[in-house]
Amino acid sequence: MKKKIQLTLNGKKTILEAPAHRLLLDLLRDEIGLTGTKEGCGTGDCGACTVFLNGKPVNSCLILSGELDGAELVTIEGLKIGPELHPIQKAFIQDGGAQCGYCTPGMLMMAKALLDENPNPTEEEIRFALSGNLCRCTGYAKIIQAVQDAAKEIRQAARR
Amino acid sequence: MAKAEKFSVVGQRVQRVDGFDKVTGESKYIADIILPGMLLGKILRSPYPHARILRIDTSKAEHLRGVRAVVTAEDTLKRPWGAFFADQYILSVGKARYVGEEVAAVAAVDLDVAEEALALIDVEWEPLPAVFDAEEAMKAGAPLVHDDKKRNIAVTLDIERGNIQRAFAESDIIVEDTFQSAPQWHCSIETIGSVAEYASSGKYTIYMNSQTLFNARYRIAAALGVPETDIRIIQSAVGGGFGGKSCDDNNALVAAILARKAGKPVKVINSREEEFLAGCRPRVFMKIDVKLGFKKDGRIRAKHIRIIADNGAYSAKAPAITGVAAMRHDTCYKYSDVKTQAYLVYTNKIPTGAFRGFGNPSAEWAVEQAIDIGAHELGIDPMEIARINAAESGYVSPHGNRVTSCELKQCLDMTEKMMDWKKKRADKKPNTGLGLACTVHVSGKRHFGDYDGSSATIKINEDGKALILSGEGEIGQGVHTAMCQIAAEELGVRVEDVEISKADTDLTTFCLGAFASRLTYISGNAVKNAASNVKQQLFQQASEMLEANADDLISHGGRIFVKGAEGKFVTVADAARARLFRHNGAPIVGSGSFDADSVLPDKTRFGNESGAYNYGVQAAQVEVDRETGQVKVLQYVIASDCGTVIYPIGAEGQVEGGFAQGIGYALIEGLQFDEGRPVNPNFSDYRIPSMRDLPPLTHAFADSYEPTGPFGAKGLGELNMDPTAAVISNAIFDAVGVRIKTLPITPEKVLKALTEKG
Repeated sequence: MKKKIQLTLNGKKTILEAPAHRLLLDLLRDEIGLTGTKEGCGTGDCGACTVFLNGKPVNSCLILSGELDGAELVTIEGLKIGPELHPIQKAFIQDGGAQCGYCTPGMLMMAKALLDENPNPTEEEIRFALSGNLCRCTGYAKIIQAVQDAAKEIRQAARR
Repeated sequence: MAKAEKFSVVGQRVQRVDGFDKVTGESKYIADIILPGMLLGKILRSPYPHARILRIDTSKAEHLRGVRAVVTAEDTLKRPWGAFFADQYILSVGKARYVGEEVAAVAAVDLDVAEEALALIDVEWEPLPAVFDAEEAMKAGAPLVHDDKKRNIAVTLDIERGNIQRAFAESDIIVEDTFQSAPQWHCSIETIGSVAEYASSGKYTIYMNSQTLFNARYRIAAALGVPETDIRIIQSAVGGGFGGKSCDDNNALVAAILARKAGKPVKVINSREEEFLAGCRPRVFMKIDVKLGFKKDGRIRAKHIRIIADNGAYSAKAPAITGVAAMRHDTCYKYSDVKTQAYLVYTNKIPTGAFRGFGNPSAEWAVEQAIDIGAHELGIDPMEIARINAAESGYVSPHGNRVTSCELKQCLDMTEKMMDWKKKRADKKPNTGLGLACTVHVSGKRHFGDYDGSSATIKINEDGKALILSGEGEIGQGVHTAMCQIAAEELGVRVEDVEISKADTDLTTFCLGAFASRLTYISGNAVKNAASNVKQQLFQQASEMLEANADDLISHGGRIFVKGAEGKFVTVADAARARLFRHNGAPIVGSGSFDADSVLPDKTRFGNESGAYNYGVQAAQVEVDRETGQVKVLQYVIASDCGTVIYPIGAEGQVEGGFAQGIGYALIEGLQFDEGRPVNPNFSDYRIPSMRDLPPLTHAFADSYEPTGPFGAKGLGELNMDPTAAVISNAIFDAVGVRIKTLPITPEKVLKALTEKG
């Protein structure tokens, strides 16, 4: 049984129909065609599928479509600011925060969630906030560097 | 001998060429590929570790609405295939030999239907006695995994170089011990998957997230019984490989036969659980007996190693891995007399195979601990023992490995300094300790036929930009960026003006793929040779335009000019257009290849296996909590000799990422089996290091130059996790005097050892 769902998706009003049991991750990828959000485990352990639901980061593999009516969603496709990369995206490129890139969309969303709340996180705070996002390539050093550099850039931009 | 050279692109901190697509989510990984009319496939897997299939009835599944194809072994040639030994089937023929083996598969309009259809396939099983432990499997009377493999032995090695008996007799002390390594799963965050399409003319087009496309094509063609040209493999973006995506599993083959039967494209993506059960082939686990003879002054006089390696139910790459574990480390130190015995044994578990390190992490786990035991018994600083025995440029190992560049001693000096080793040793605090281990790895390995090469083509577009066509696999490690830098350096253009294609077996020339830390060295050389070829063509054209001798020309920043007369130039674009846009013109396009100066080892496995050898040293300072057995790594340092560093951000990423996998292997990762059945095939129970699990790391690269490498470069990718487990164990011994001999080093094991010690 399909259910009508009204959403704000990356700033745009969207109406669609989906079975209530359809996972948000599958809804985004298979029904809406936004494939930037990745599945790494399907059990909420790796964070690759992180998106914003009503302003908070969630594992989209654990959310059912039935809960979504009226929700506001932001995915990796909505992270850019207009045509410009978000500072966290720029920092990931500059510092080498992405190797294979598969965990990167989820990692970026979680990093944005951190910086939204805490514009000047310590390394310890970054390690704590992003510990639910697994990366097998980088050993995390360059991700931490990128989050620090992005934080600095965002703080400086706010002063400008 | 280190050699400083000035490069304009090589060694610069350039950004990775595919970075933009990765941070925007636009990179197309295998699950992101959608073809018109595409179906989704699911695989029915054996619930038994060893069982005969008496009957399979697929009729109910076939009649389910939305099902488009159901396949079993009857839809295959029942022809075994494999990297070194043909011993596995696309779908079980007659019996299944491990939990998770592919038995049948379904293609349907969606995954819900496909899963429902799997439940409707009726298999009548006759469970058979099974064997789960390699040592048990070698015993007379053990159940046979393959009827024709006596005592379940797949490979036996028994090699002696020099005179081992005399060498032990001449030793002042002898160290003897047994170490058990552990399986480890790759845990790429992207699982293995494929999208296959079949044209009724007979051609298969398969999108794969493989790291070795041409090897995949060869094996898929063999298993399907078609010529290689009838298989086209296109690489999607790859979400991590580490050896796990080198086509030793059946995923793409199942997708191919489903697509053929359904007449529609079929996508098959492993779930995380499937990836653990039967996807990537985990690290070969080994029981290793080591016996070392030392002279009083610390020289290693004799080495005898005996390995029993668990092959799992089929062979994948384990035959080669067993050989590496048995012999590779003899290129790290100056040995004269060595004996190696190894047995690779079938069991009813998941086939083991290639994982970053390829046998080295297991061997170094054992041998580097035995050396540490020797150092403590002799009362010599482990740093000194390593220095006394370290290989040098010009060393030839007892197995014939010829070392053209080696900065192991420099790496030891760097490690000593970065760790402040002498001071920390002198001011030793209670329950803290230092550990050290050295490592060697290859830069490519000659074992798929008598070839360890690569080829590449470069064309110059009419706007002056260069495009590299290469079939080598970018799997996240950043090799495409390194290849673009190498081409830019040789052509004398900016790195922004070089692009690289996706790997596609129909459009790119033959390449072996990403394994054995080979790409920077081998494909780098091929790309450099292709660029040199193209540069000659450009200079030929430019010499006409500049009315100068081609031999007097140089290029820099995309301009070609006579050396010393920079003001008068033609651009690469000018030359390319002038060459193309005229009667009897030609595009500027050139190929290059490279085959390493190595040999296919002979029957006794003697012969130089690689064109170049990379070295590294790692050290840790740990603190052990005597109450809980917890090991805290206070500081970790790594020095690496990879020749010239081409792409610094990428190279650093290899060290940092390899180290993280090494820490996981040492302290965290382990899969529990119950009667051959993995009990924790998921990320909640099989943990990999998170951001909070990793200790502080300091690392640096040696000043090094490999004479046969592109601009002096050699391999790096695997080096960084090879010795880590031994380093940690050695440091624990130094801290609290207990030695852990099985992986992973859990707090429980440390506490038990401390209690036993009293």
